[in-house]
Amino acid sequence: MHVVVTGMGVVSPIGIGTDQFWAAAVNGISGIQRIRSFDASGQRSQIAGEITGFNPANFLSAKHIEQTDRFTQLALLATSLALEDAGGLDAYAPQRLAVSIGSGMGGFSTFESSATRNFRNQPIPPFTVPRTMANSAAAWIAIKHRLKGVNLTCSTACSSGANAIGMALDLLRAGRADAVIAGGAEACVLPLTMTGFEVLHALTTSFNTDPARASRPFAKGRDGFVMSEGAGVLILEKEEDAKRRGAKIYARLAGYGQACDATHIVMPDMNGQVAAMQSAIKDAGMEPDSIDYINAHATSTPLGDVVETRAIKHLFGDRAGDIAINATKSMIGHTVGASAAIGSIATIMALYTGTIHPTINLDEADPECDLAYTPNHSQQKNPRNGLCNAFGFGGNNASILFTTLE
Amino acid sequence: MDRVEIETKVIQFITTKVENLDVSTINESSKFEELGLDSMDTIQLLFDAEDTFGINFEGEEAKGFTCVGDIISYIEKHQVPASS
Repeated sequence: MHVVVTGMGVVSPIGIGTDQFWAAAVNGISGIQRIRSFDASGQRSQIAGEITGFNPANFLSAKHIEQTDRFTQLALLATSLALEDAGGLDAYAPQRLAVSIGSGMGGFSTFESSATRNFRNQPIPPFTVPRTMANSAAAWIAIKHRLKGVNLTCSTACSSGANAIGMALDLLRAGRADAVIAGGAEACVLPLTMTGFEVLHALTTSFNTDPARASRPFAKGRDGFVMSEGAGVLILEKEEDAKRRGAKIYARLAGYGQACDATHIVMPDMNGQVAAMQSAIKDAGMEPDSIDYINAHATSTPLGDVVETRAIKHLFGDRAGDIAINATKSMIGHTVGASAAIGSIATIMALYTGTIHPTINLDEADPECDLAYTPNHSQQKNPRNGLCNAFGFGGNNASILFTTLE
Repeated sequence: MDRVEIETKVIQFITTKVENLDVSTINESSKFEELGLDSMDTIQLLFDAEDTFGINFEGEEAKGFTCVGDIISYIEKHQVPASS
């Protein structure tokens, strides 16, 4: 039984909707700017990937805007776009339609603003808890589209979106659903989350006056990731069902691998990353030799990019240099729990169009990062089997494998 | 503010918060559920009213609110004199 992708929706700093996102991605457009949503002059990192042109009033009533956090609103828009792309899921009973959404921080914007009010002895909004809870996005997707099947939320930091998609694959294989709305959403360009990552020295601080050059995976002189927001949603179905209803099929979701470092709460471990990729390939019934593209986790931190490079070399050996690799985060920054969902869309589009989007800001690579990262310009490579990596705090490593239909 | 003034302002406020409501159909005895508000909508309405009218509904008392008149009476009883 094969699982296929029949719809995609993305809300990102470089575009809303797959067409806009992909056009910007293949042209190497950066979506990183100085922070506009709050006064960031006191932050060490003053730049982010914020979504412009997003107005929840375009698709939500005033009442529903009041009841939802921004991460839920982003997820709702990505879902509507994905469902529209898939031509709807009316072919299935509502009880057989599942939702699986990842988010690292959930409704942290609501948490932060309500906590601030509470500390000032001001009343807090009644929907503080239902807006903040991590499963709010998945629940609202179900409410808005009357999806009455399994409803799951995965919160594994930066790998949340990948695990949510992997869990969706498991649901379809186990026969617990006929179709799954799967992806990730995050909206934590906020003073507290920014400061939280700053004190861990995880964010870039050297490019506040040159934001477009700040996110530079694998490049010499990179000094941390750029906080970003967004959502990515896939529509997943069994291939035979999708074909029966005449759906457009983008790619197969062929495998999912998961491994925990079990070593350190924030430091990456090469062995866990290797194990996750290995597991995804095995899950698909394939061999490492068949992988010809990797959408890397690549956040632009000094350590993370080197460890991922080592993991790829360790797993693929002499072939590592032949694999086309790119980093979507070079353009959009790190959307945390949405990153692998958006990365999956970039992976699927690479398989669907044959084009590998560039890793921008890669004029001079770090000597310890010596693989084929598609520097600065798109390449027509016609990949067939692409991994999308996601490695999160908690030593949580996930890798998902997409393939072309043939 | 006298009671009539408060009533006008409260009804006007409700029409800005509840969609598709005809102002002429609302009066003091209008129950929240008749306005299409469920219990959570009512809590949200009272929260917004606190900001708008600069008051603080005491939790236990507000729990018993069932109609527009309850809001009006509370504001009338707890309003701070405009000048002293």
